[in-house]
Amino acid sequence: MQLHRARSEFEAAGISLVLIGQGTPRQAAHFRRRFEIDLPVLADERRESYRAAGAKVATVGELLGPRSVRRGLMKSARSRGAIRQGKVIGHPAQLGGAMVVRRDGTVAWSHMSEDASDNASPAEILAAARTSAA
Amino acid sequence: MLGVAKERQRTRPPDRADALAEITLLDHEGRKVRLGDLWKDGPVALVWLRHYG
Repeated sequence: MQLHRARSEFEAAGISLVLIGQGTPRQAAHFRRRFEIDLPVLADERRESYRAAGAKVATVGELLGPRSVRRGLMKSARSRGAIRQGKVIGHPAQLGGAMVVRRDGTVAWSHMSEDASDNASPAEILAAARTSAA
Repeated sequence: MLGVAKERQRTRPPDRADALAEITLLDHEGRKVRLGDLWKDGPVALVWLRHYG
């Protein structure tokens, strides 16, 4: 989880940053403690918000195919181990994503994952957020 | 296996977050948070994690 390290840059740009995970509030609290994340973490055990955000459930190939595994390993290596596969909680094939929502409720930008290795970087999310706040 | 999709799905992010706005979740301290309240004062970046890990 690299995103929380960019928190100050989001704050400087006047943008709130909120994480949503599958699981219970207790699991969300454990996640925050384990990774020392000083951000709000919401618990969506029923994955209601995932569906409303247009996130998808992966096929076997999108989870474990060569493209996903290769990209996942490359990201982990580049991050020197900071990015790694943790314990799976919730629906194992549920993919995530990111979205920037303006004050008027319009979606300024979104990147919903196409496979398990497809995640927007903190820099991409921050750039999109800065554009929407401008 | 793993509850995977049998056929490839498409992501469908909405143009507006109206449906998201009405969803209420609990935060890490068990407090209710209505998602629409997150952007009432300014833009917000929401990140959906694959899992807590």
